[in-house]
Amino acid sequence: MAAVDGWDAIVVGAGHNGLVTAAYLAKAGLRTLVLEKRERIGGLTGTIEIADGTRAPAFFPTVGRLRPSVARELGLYDHGLALVSPEALAFAPLADGRSVTLWADAARTAAELRAWSPADADAYAGFDRRVRALAHFLGEIGDTTPPDPSGPSASDALRGILLGRAFRGLDRKDAQALLRYLPMAVADFVAESFRTDALRALIAWRGVRYTALGPWSGGSTQVLLTDSAGNDGGAAGETVFARGGPGALTLALASAARSFGAEIRIGAEVVAIRANGDRVTGVALASGEEVDAPVVATGVDPKTTILRLLDPMVAGPTLRWRGGNIRTPGAVTKVDLALSGTPVFPAAGADDEGARRIRGRIVLAEGIDEIERAFDASKYGRVSDRLVLEATIPSLVDPTLAPSGRHVMSVIAQWTPHALRDGAWDDAARAAIGDAVIARLETVAPGIGSLVTARRVLTPVDLERDFGPAGGHPYHGEPGLDQWFAWRPMLGLARYRFPVAGLYLCGAGAHPGGGVTGVPGRNAAREIVADRKRRR
Amino acid sequence: MPQRYDAVIIGAGHNGLTTAAYLAKAGWTVLVLERRHKVGGATTTEEIIPGYRFSVLSYVVSLLRPEIIRELDLARHGLEILPLDGTFTPLPDDYLWRRDDHGATMREIRRWSKSDADAYEEYGRLMAEMARFIKPILGIVPPDPTSLDPRGWPPVASLVREFGRLPRAQQQAFVGLMTMSASDFLDQWFETEPLKATMSASGIIGTFLGVKSPGTAYVLLHHYMGEIDGAFRAWGIPKGGTGAVADAIASAARELGVAIRLNAPVASVLTTGDRATGVVLESGEEIAAGTVVSAVDVRRTFLQFLDERQLPADLVDEVRRFKFRGSSGKVNLALDGLPSFSALPGEGEHLRGAMSMSPSIDYMEQAYDDAKYGRFSRKPYIDMIIPTLVDPQMAPPGKHVMSCFVQYAPYHLAEGTWDDQREAFGDAVIDAIATVAPNIRDIIVGRQVVTPLDMEREYGLTEGNIFHGELSLEQLFFSRPIPGWARYRTPIRDYWMAGSSTHPGGGIMAANGRLAALEILRSRKQKAA
Repeated sequence: MAAVDGWDAIVVGAGHNGLVTAAYLAKAGLRTLVLEKRERIGGLTGTIEIADGTRAPAFFPTVGRLRPSVARELGLYDHGLALVSPEALAFAPLADGRSVTLWADAARTAAELRAWSPADADAYAGFDRRVRALAHFLGEIGDTTPPDPSGPSASDALRGILLGRAFRGLDRKDAQALLRYLPMAVADFVAESFRTDALRALIAWRGVRYTALGPWSGGSTQVLLTDSAGNDGGAAGETVFARGGPGALTLALASAARSFGAEIRIGAEVVAIRANGDRVTGVALASGEEVDAPVVATGVDPKTTILRLLDPMVAGPTLRWRGGNIRTPGAVTKVDLALSGTPVFPAAGADDEGARRIRGRIVLAEGIDEIERAFDASKYGRVSDRLVLEATIPSLVDPTLAPSGRHVMSVIAQWTPHALRDGAWDDAARAAIGDAVIARLETVAPGIGSLVTARRVLTPVDLERDFGPAGGHPYHGEPGLDQWFAWRPMLGLARYRFPVAGLYLCGAGAHPGGGVTGVPGRNAAREIVADRKRRR
Repeated sequence: MPQRYDAVIIGAGHNGLTTAAYLAKAGWTVLVLERRHKVGGATTTEEIIPGYRFSVLSYVVSLLRPEIIRELDLARHGLEILPLDGTFTPLPDDYLWRRDDHGATMREIRRWSKSDADAYEEYGRLMAEMARFIKPILGIVPPDPTSLDPRGWPPVASLVREFGRLPRAQQQAFVGLMTMSASDFLDQWFETEPLKATMSASGIIGTFLGVKSPGTAYVLLHHYMGEIDGAFRAWGIPKGGTGAVADAIASAARELGVAIRLNAPVASVLTTGDRATGVVLESGEEIAAGTVVSAVDVRRTFLQFLDERQLPADLVDEVRRFKFRGSSGKVNLALDGLPSFSALPGEGEHLRGAMSMSPSIDYMEQAYDDAKYGRFSRKPYIDMIIPTLVDPQMAPPGKHVMSCFVQYAPYHLAEGTWDDQREAFGDAVIDAIATVAPNIRDIIVGRQVVTPLDMEREYGLTEGNIFHGELSLEQLFFSRPIPGWARYRTPIRDYWMAGSSTHPGGGIMAANGRLAALEILRSRKQKAA
């Protein structure tokens, strides 16, 4: 390649964070090369065809957590990104025909809740306001590079952040509440405001989604608040689709990155990060090719980066031991279904409003205990007999995703542990989980099974094999309080820098964590550019 | 004769007595009012079965603050701590026995796993370092993080500075201890199930959490923070049972001039405007005082002794929210022989320490799963000791008492009441012990089953929580008991808190009582100045 001797930076992995980093680096004038091992970009934020003309999300179904500032700064709307937001954000149908809906309009949600509980209806607006206030603060924390607890100005930095403009922006009650809420179990958090179990479950679900936590696990409130952070998610959370599927977002990111001068190579698997002493010098590809650059940003998860990409002599035994202890308990199975018609949810109602209710996230969890029991099984390496699911039918709001009259449904099933105690994720287990998902859907959408014309099942083991994240964890590391902020993924790596000079972590394993936000990628790029300026 | 005291203390538990002693030491006239017929509260020794004396609730001591032992001269007042040697974890066909003899413990762990033996030494060193770093927290009055009041911050700032100086591995361990589950934390080091399960048990005692629940790791440190006569890490039992601790503090307090009235339940706190002026007993008697200190739990402190209309509405909400939900029970056994474990039959040194029914992490977690859905554990975690082996006067000659601390016994049962389930619960405990010590049923001559409901009724422990409120992260330090009110004072002037609902929490530490007294004295000095 022409520029072999001229790259300023290499980004490993063309997931959304890698592309964000590349775009910002290129925008800052760095000659940047993105290397992607797969034949397509996007990683977990992609769109894939599961049947003729039917396209489903590669993994993450929605893109509503994308920081608006990232989209703006990179001009993503000029590069083809179009977002679609349904009025109904989340809908929980119950087997007995009742349901709870969280609408984008909080007043409408509260009005409907009155039928369940007047007290809950009255409490909803206040709860929503508090979640927004706290999530806004967490969003600001997320945009900040965490302090180094060993640095000379550690206490200053910490105080600067804690007592700084953002914390002062909270009123005193919210500030005190935040410190109490972060370590709290989300089941307790919702119980402080609401009585209706179905409502508690629908809200609390986001505190455990994509994690190996249950609603009674400490720290799950932090997950919920973080999920609402930075994009005005509120109590209901976001439900925003990219037109053309989540892959449209990564295509826009790639287009933006290229427009700033970055180059993206697919089918180029990085197998080693090369270093000379404690300085990074480039990467080696599976083909044997070596590419030099003084800066390497890895969008690969930190555990894999440390254990597989870094030379053990360079990493050293301590970093390898600590890297091996990064917790990556993947527990999510994704099931995508091609449907020959529109599924019917009797609990939604047969009118136009019923049709609108099912356009957001459809959560199959009737109460806190049901979620907790589904989680319980995973603690012992088993899958619960009764799955907890979140489904979306993006073709209801984006007809381009399926042929006319047909639909695509994308389902997240929890908790299906990566490490099964008895057996393995073989074809039989994969088929069984697919069947179990459809059986559970039948309880609230009778007849849906007969609409299924094709399906794709992605277990945590498939996720790890096809896309790479250790343990098949979609967040590159459990989002518990033990892997959070200044210690995500571990103390000493939270400032995006490895002990090897020139090597940076820019993926979901870095602060502020996983999900389609683009923030780790942007923060990492900012630090890379700052280091470059400092060196000059 | 109506008399006005400088301070009236509600509750003669170890914290109330400690506050009283420190205030009297400063020259105050102090009266302690106790509802029961004896001092001690949950720190009590009672002869439930003729001839057999039990530490009915709390049963071991390690965190009792050495400065309190020193400043109140408790040794002279009869406090004597007898060492408990080691922890024996029986399984039906094997055991894990760790003792104070380091070499023997290392050989024993090596028998299970060589790599665990190597890790054990490193782990022990790390934990000792951590304990040394974190221990000062027990002696700090928590600041209000949302307040710019500079007074509370210097001790915290110095901790932050200290943290910055720790080696990275210790910083990481500290973060892990504050945030992880005991099981995840130990998984980083060990593979032997009975070892991990037994170590993890300290993380769940008194909480409604399982060993896999985040936030349980930090209590692992408590084992390394215990300090008896300066010996780091030692646990012990007071000679004469835990009641002897309360008796020693009471004796010290009396010597300093404190008056203690038993059988004197308080009905309410008297107030004038926004300040406390005394108390009214259930008998109707009024007692005037310049300062009133409540050493009972935060719910009783505010909602029982005051009219909630006197309090800010959001404080009342926070008090109602404060989590008690007791999770443990106690089974006290009178024995006419000693249990014989199938894996190590007969008498021996292994009976002289703690015996822990904790064969695996799964066993512990399944015990918790029962409790989550409102059932007592069918296969509970049990921490057993036989005090008579080190303190024979607790039972008639040749006889023994055995104390079994049991988890989980949730206060809120999904079905039935504790009054119908008390004996079934006791039977489940005996059944579990019988799986490893088959002779247990033959040697029991009497038993006392203490349920969370009994703890509430008899000892005033709300919802049977042994720590006056759960020791979960969101209820610690500056959030204990209530954000904004972690400095022992209340919105009612001259009304203070000193019980285990306050920082640093429950257990026979008495730090709460001492810190409250010091804050009261400081505020009085400021007022005078």
